[in-house]
Amino acid sequence: MLAGLAGEAGPYRRLLDELSGRLRAYYGRRCPPGVDAEDLVQETLIAVHTRRATYDPGQPFTAWAYAIARYKLIDALRRGRAHLRAPAEQADALFSPTGSPGTAQAAMAARDLDRVMAALPPRTQALIRDVKIAGLSTREAAAKHAMSETAVKVAIHRGLKALGQAHGGSDAGQD
Amino acid sequence: MPAKTEALIESLSAQVPKVAPGAVARRVALGLSLGALGSAAVMLAWLGPRPDLAEALVTPMFWMKLAYAAATGLIAAVLLARLARPAARLGVAAAFLAAPFVLVSAMAMLRLAQAPPQAQHGLLMGHTSMVCPWRILAIGLPVLAGAVWAVRGLAPTRLLTAGLAAGACAGGLGAAIYAFACDETSAPFLAIWYTLGIAVLAAAGALAGPRLLRWR
Repeated sequence: MLAGLAGEAGPYRRLLDELSGRLRAYYGRRCPPGVDAEDLVQETLIAVHTRRATYDPGQPFTAWAYAIARYKLIDALRRGRAHLRAPAEQADALFSPTGSPGTAQAAMAARDLDRVMAALPPRTQALIRDVKIAGLSTREAAAKHAMSETAVKVAIHRGLKALGQAHGGSDAGQD
Repeated sequence: MPAKTEALIESLSAQVPKVAPGAVARRVALGLSLGALGSAAVMLAWLGPRPDLAEALVTPMFWMKLAYAAATGLIAAVLLARLARPAARLGVAAAFLAAPFVLVSAMAMLRLAQAPPQAQHGLLMGHTSMVCPWRILAIGLPVLAGAVWAVRGLAPTRLLTAGLAAGACAGGLGAAIYAFACDETSAPFLAIWYTLGIAVLAAAGALAGPRLLRWR
């Protein structure tokens, strides 16, 4: 974590890798039915990353990370977390090419995309278009929208998750 | 590991901007300072400084009021900065929050014991006791707002306790600012009515904490 605070990507990545394994074990045992443990793992990883300034190097890292994991778990229990049931992967499928360019199928896909994206905040829509469809890098999108790269990543992750909730598989929307 | 999580880790660790040490303390200090500026503006626009402020500056009672309120606010600010981090440990610092009150109470009792019986009521009630706690509440609210803004952007995990600390901090700093407008001069008044004002804000903070301090 000290490496992460110092801006060293390599060790920081190994830390997140190891942490995700431990989080999976943590949520695997405690995750209430109906909540996707992997979503909690991802939310916690995002929180660990975006709030890493609150880590006090004088304290044990595990205590700090588990306090965040516990907070996220309680938060999920409190809200019932119906919207966590549909994983974000399903939303991603919306953006996979369904036909060659120029076909009616592509036009329909584009129209569907407009329709489902309308529910998202305008900036999130623009970010998803720029990064997931136009293929801009996170850094380019961040510069274009005058946001930090972290904010771009988080906005896109949440936007896709919201789409997953609204337009996911057949198991979504029953609760 | 699911591919999605792996991709997330990849993107999070692709760009890891350095974090300057002391970021938590700086953010809390910024929030409280902006809030205190707002509080001072409320005090000046609403009540104005006491007309005899220049003479009051040389009386010990003015400084005692200021010291009591500011000490309470600053100790609460230290607790607040700790509670803004996950796995916060308060330790003995929590007990220090009561220290200014214990001191002022002791002085108040000494003052009451020395006073003739017919003067005691005046020492306790002053002439603004009915408005004092409410004025402190109103003047402290901008500090509370600043504290909530600062802590929400960090990572509190004990929201009720953090709300309590934010309220106590707003109460202490709000009372310190109110001391420039208030012309009461007795320790018993301070011990009761200033404390009540601070306590009202602390309670408001504790009630609102779990709602206002929640972060994602």
